[in-house]
Amino acid sequence: MRVGIPRTLSFFTLYPLLKPFFDGLGVEVVVSPASNKALLDEGVKDTVNDACVPIKLFHGHVVALKDKVDVLFMPRIISLDGKNTLCPKFLGLPDMVKYSVSNLPEIIETRLDMKKGKMEIYRFLYRVGKRFTDNKVKILRAIWHARYKFSRYRKLLLKGLTPEEAFTCLHTGQEPPHKEQSGQIKLAVLGYPYTIYDDYISVGLLDMLREQGVRVYTAEMVPEEAMKRMSKKLPKNLFWYYSNRVVWGSQYYINEQNIDGIIHVTAFSCGPDSMTNKLVELEAKQHQPKIPFLTITVDEHTGEAGVATRVEAFVDLIKRKKGII
Amino acid sequence: MKISFPYMGTSHIVVSYLFEKLGFEVIYPPTPSKRTLSLGVQYAPEFACLPFKIVLGTYLEVVEKGAEILITSGGCGPCRAGYYGELHKRILHDLGYPVEMIVIEPPLVEPLDFLRKLHKIVKPKGIFNLLHYGRIALEKLKALDVVESTLHELRPLALDKQQINQAYIEGLELIRQADSVKEVIEAKKAALEMLESVPADHTFKPLRIGLIGEIYVVLEPAANHDIERLLGERGAYVHRSIFLANWTRDNVLAHGEKDIRAMAIPYLNQMVGGHGQNSVGEVVRYAEEGFDGVIQLAPFTCIPEIVAKSIMPAVSRDKNIPVMTLFLDEQTGQAGIETRIEAFLDLLWQKRKKQEAS
Amino acid sequence: MQAYLGVDVGSVSTNLVVIDDDGNVLVDLYLRTQGQPIQAVQEGMKQVEEAIKGKKIEICGVGTTGSARTLSGVIVGADTVKNEITAHAVAASHLVPDVQTVLEIGGQDSKIIILRDGIVVDFAMNTVCAAGTGSFLDHQAARLNIPIEDFGGLALQSEASVRIAGRCSVFAESDMIHKQQMGHPTPDIIAGLCDALVRNYLNNVGKGKEILAPVVFQGGVAANVGIRAAFEKALGLKIIVPDYFKVMGAIGAALLAKATVKEKGETNFRGFVVSDLEYQASSFECQGCPNLCEIVNISVDDKVLARWGGRCGKWDTLSKTG
Repeated sequence: MRVGIPRTLSFFTLYPLLKPFFDGLGVEVVVSPASNKALLDEGVKDTVNDACVPIKLFHGHVVALKDKVDVLFMPRIISLDGKNTLCPKFLGLPDMVKYSVSNLPEIIETRLDMKKGKMEIYRFLYRVGKRFTDNKVKILRAIWHARYKFSRYRKLLLKGLTPEEAFTCLHTGQEPPHKEQSGQIKLAVLGYPYTIYDDYISVGLLDMLREQGVRVYTAEMVPEEAMKRMSKKLPKNLFWYYSNRVVWGSQYYINEQNIDGIIHVTAFSCGPDSMTNKLVELEAKQHQPKIPFLTITVDEHTGEAGVATRVEAFVDLIKRKKGII
Repeated sequence: MKISFPYMGTSHIVVSYLFEKLGFEVIYPPTPSKRTLSLGVQYAPEFACLPFKIVLGTYLEVVEKGAEILITSGGCGPCRAGYYGELHKRILHDLGYPVEMIVIEPPLVEPLDFLRKLHKIVKPKGIFNLLHYGRIALEKLKALDVVESTLHELRPLALDKQQINQAYIEGLELIRQADSVKEVIEAKKAALEMLESVPADHTFKPLRIGLIGEIYVVLEPAANHDIERLLGERGAYVHRSIFLANWTRDNVLAHGEKDIRAMAIPYLNQMVGGHGQNSVGEVVRYAEEGFDGVIQLAPFTCIPEIVAKSIMPAVSRDKNIPVMTLFLDEQTGQAGIETRIEAFLDLLWQKRKKQEAS
Repeated sequence: MQAYLGVDVGSVSTNLVVIDDDGNVLVDLYLRTQGQPIQAVQEGMKQVEEAIKGKKIEICGVGTTGSARTLSGVIVGADTVKNEITAHAVAASHLVPDVQTVLEIGGQDSKIIILRDGIVVDFAMNTVCAAGTGSFLDHQAARLNIPIEDFGGLALQSEASVRIAGRCSVFAESDMIHKQQMGHPTPDIIAGLCDALVRNYLNNVGKGKEILAPVVFQGGVAANVGIRAAFEKALGLKIIVPDYFKVMGAIGAALLAKATVKEKGETNFRGFVVSDLEYQASSFECQGCPNLCEIVNISVDDKVLARWGGRCGKWDTLSKTG
């Protein structure tokens, strides 16, 4: 039995939970390859035109997996923190895919709604596990094992590892390499994990910045208690999990971490980001002193050259301001 | 205190009436024009939806005229319209307009907040005043809906389209002026008589088209290029899925519209915010009621409607009902809309002729 | 002989055809509109008159289509004024009766029409700018300094097409320049442009449409063999390009005029005198409400023939579209 997991959207959040869980059940996990041109082309072909590039990419990953697995894992994720929902596209994702891609294998579209309580994540895994085995003990052991790995994953992210690096650590069981960022300026790079950690869609933005002597900080490196503190600052929070983390992360870096600038990475025509982007922009603008702010918009037509030019100019601007060049 | 509010369809007639009676000086929001839109576009985020831009433009026009309080509805997601009040406020403050923004959240979700804000609005003249005029306002809402749906029925049949459009505008004015429940009912009757007195060809069997989608672009002619008129004048009867009174009843006072959502479940078993799930359900309903076609209106970048649109081909095929989706933004041109509408009507006439032949 | 005239005035070209009672094309003309639709129609009428002189052809009906259909309808006295989607569909199914898919790419817009059993069941028009239309190719050809007529032939010489990315023609152009600067040979770049146009067309206009054979490809761009080849490659279907691919909209308008005239028994055709009349087009901004609609007047000898452009219908009394 092989279960397929698309390497995008919730992948960067949930994979370290799912991988050990399925391992524990004795189910082989097949992950789609890293995003690439062919895969995106396929996605663009299948997806409704007006959708954003991450959704198109998701369709591409589904196509890449569909003939290689017995079951496709595509849960309907309603809420991850018990308070906020996800973007409406996550809510309707299984339906969109079903009506856009033909010849799909069986789909697991189990609902995950953390508004139902803290234990929901285990009940969710249990419901998924029942699809593969009737052995309750086996499922519970797999859940226990997964839980342990998952909490370790979060700790690794806080240390500044990228998801891919963290996966390697978890897989090999090795301690993470000591990682001290060097560089003269500190930039917060905020965006959804499935955009900024997908090197193809972000055209290698994080590496590009590091090569230019930038210490990069992301929303995944913000401690949970700080996120909680920030969530109380706005008169009204946004409705979407990932968007809120971007806003709270920006407040944390602006107000408590003395950051030199903010880059917001957003997908062309992203609905929630039209709000998120403006909020972050206003936060940066209204801070004393004003924090430099750059928006990078990505889509299926993005060229590396265009992003590189903008990023270089932005980094130069900050360096000059600090008198480094 | 000078108060104002967003403009949407004919709702301004009722909202301004109510606030005047509550003791506020009302700054009338102007009918959204090219200027409204270009003001909104200038200061709104690029990918905010058309309603956000038009409403922001309206706010900028009314604050110029001296509005001090803006009142609007809130929401709890996942449609982003629920956040518009908050972001509009921040943008207006950033531009140097220190307006007060009262965002009314759904009473069932935030009961305390609702009562607090209600108290603030009602205080000048007291609760009995509100109950009295609230009843009249509700009656006006219902009257507007009846008159409007009658217009939709009669416009395709009317011999002179301009005459019936004019009769409708005069009818609205009568309802606006009415000042008691009795007067509203009389105004409604007079307005209906005016519409019915326009010479019409009652033997004509117009195409029947369901109009669905996001509420603002469905209700506001400035956002949808007056699509109801365009369709009506071309001999199509338009049934709109959303009317003010039923929407107010279903969404402000209860978690309504369960029956429509139930119809969507075979295709989309999840609320996706806004009107996404309703749109799917309504296509099923229109097909079952024998409508000729459905037009889905949505603002560009509206995610709930994008989700709905991606499911639409399957619904359309299963239920054998053509569906045309129009995404609207500030770039949409009148000519493009007209060409698509005319081609869609041709398609539906051909389909009907073929069905009648077989 | 009884004949019917079809006039298709678009933003780039103005096409006129004359067909006989069986729908055979007697005259076909393809002119540049050059931003002067009235003059283009008048010039076209003059040329039609020349072409049928002494042939005992009587124009019994006239139809207009295209983005300037209302305007040209007023000038010629049209019996039917139809949108270009219906006109193209009518023409395609006249020439290829079992057609199931019509691909049409013109100068400023592009469309797809799906027919089943001779009836239009679905259609779409482009929603994004020039990336899927003829002006995109014209523009890039000019940029590469290649006559547009040679464009398709060069594309066929390519062995490995280059990938050109871009949402609109401006972005595509900068990407194309980038590829040139990297040293790719011209035929490969041209083939890449053809692929890009077809890809953008299928992903935008053709999205979610069931494309079945026979597929008819029409509109000015159908002349381009490179695009034809790119479509055949992308769809895996044979593409039929009708003889009169450039003037299909006008053929459709003429066929529709024929049907209308047969039904009502008379024509509104104003005759070929129209090419000698002095038409004045003027416009003003209506101050009646904040919409500030731009109202257009068409007049002859200071007599207003038609007027349109208002949202409220106040000014539309003299004309009807549809």
